[in-house]
Amino acid sequence: MKTTLIAFVCLLGTAPLAAEAEPAHTPILEKYAIEAKAADPSFSGFSGERGKSLFFSEPATGKPDTPSCTSCHTKNPKEPGRTRAGKEIGPMALSVKSDRYNDSQETEKWFGRNCDSVLGRPCTPIEKGDFITFMASQ
Amino acid sequence: MSATDFRQTVEDGDRTVLVWDWGVRVFHWSLVLCVGVCACTGFLAAPNWLNFHLAAGIAIAALVVFRLVWGWTGSEYARFSSSAVKASALRQHFSDIVRGRRIRHLGHNQAGALMFYALLAVLILLIISGVMALGGAVKQGPLAFALSFAAGRTAREIHELLLFGLLALIAAHWAGVAFESWRLRENLVRAMFTGRKSDGAASSQPPASARPAEAATIVLGIAAIAVPGVIALSQVPAKGVPTEPLHSAYLKECGDCHFAYPPSLAAIATWKAVMDGLADHFGENASLDPARAASIRDWLTANASERWDARAANMLRRVNAADPQRITATPGWTRVHEDIPDSVFKSKAVGAKGACKACHRDAETARFDPQGIAIPKEAQP
Repeated sequence: MKTTLIAFVCLLGTAPLAAEAEPAHTPILEKYAIEAKAADPSFSGFSGERGKSLFFSEPATGKPDTPSCTSCHTKNPKEPGRTRAGKEIGPMALSVKSDRYNDSQETEKWFGRNCDSVLGRPCTPIEKGDFITFMASQ
Repeated sequence: MSATDFRQTVEDGDRTVLVWDWGVRVFHWSLVLCVGVCACTGFLAAPNWLNFHLAAGIAIAALVVFRLVWGWTGSEYARFSSSAVKASALRQHFSDIVRGRRIRHLGHNQAGALMFYALLAVLILLIISGVMALGGAVKQGPLAFALSFAAGRTAREIHELLLFGLLALIAAHWAGVAFESWRLRENLVRAMFTGRKSDGAASSQPPASARPAEAATIVLGIAAIAVPGVIALSQVPAKGVPTEPLHSAYLKECGDCHFAYPPSLAAIATWKAVMDGLADHFGENASLDPARAASIRDWLTANASERWDARAANMLRRVNAADPQRITATPGWTRVHEDIPDSVFKSKAVGAKGACKACHRDAETARFDPQGIAIPKEAQP
């Protein structure tokens, strides 16, 4: 009984460590990594640098009012953005808004909408993973 | 009959007598002030001044009630009995004027008495039509539970016509005062301040004195019934104004990007067009999971402006055929926002025409009360 209790207390103590070891956006990145590997067997991991250049690029191949991610999210991922309808968008940087990229459905919904609005096509799994990797480093 | 009510003093070598008692004078000049406030706030001020208009209107109602009571309980010349109008006497009065016969009157002459009743009647009609307009068209006040928007709009038009009638009567009143002051060489305006007139025409009968205690009792008795009654009626939910909370999926999916417009702000046709065109939603992809979209679409069309009688629902119901999805393109929206410069909508504090909540504090309730309008200071030109 006593040993179980000690073991339990020890487990409790390590719980926060375990949470720190795996950030909430990891499952989504893992999912995109599997998809990326399936699409391109030579895939060797996501790059924050590529994500950064995607975020700041101005493809202008989507809808005319949204030529770039920065049209709404601003050039500073730590700052709140603004939708064209005037509503504030929470910052994209994980350091400022910790609940980003932890809900697969929500993340997919926004990539689905915004990649179409900005690029005029769906984003690839590599682009999505790069984007999140960049935002996680911000 | 006490002698103090019929004091005679020597002034400029002339004997004067108290004609307009304090009740009449306070009533008269308070009324001037309140009618001025009402006319200015009604015609010139921005809609968010409505509370000033209402306060002055309530004050006018209280003054009129007091004056009606004072017509029985005031002193001699405050009484209806001393201002009785008879057709024959009225004809006589005008024939006296035409023939140059200068007959003085201490209280109202026949034309003055007629004016007194006409003003009171128009004021009473203004109060009634005002409360009806407030209830039907603004969905506020004691009649909001009973009146339709259409009835309120009609009452509002009558209210406006009556004000023109009142202004015409006021102009005639000034003309009459000026003419009589000149004709009888007597300053009638000063008499309404001091209450006194020279007593050349005083009757031998001692005038009736005021009964202020009786007046106070009656006025307080009326107030004891009317004030709680009006407050209680004003608490009854307004007719046709939505009160249900917003659909939770709608609030989340639509409210993430823009103000979650209450469904009563747009017509069924608008909501259908919006929900069927989410892949290109005002130039962006806003597509939704089909099941979720269907549930939101059903809720929006079931609660669209056609179902409600609220002010905003009525004003925004007509769709702009050239831009059927945009609430801010409806003729109603355009009309009420035409005086607001584009710079306000583009300012950082507002952001876009569709950001209702930036200026309408109660936008989420879909009430859009005039009192809830406040353009952010930073956005003002």
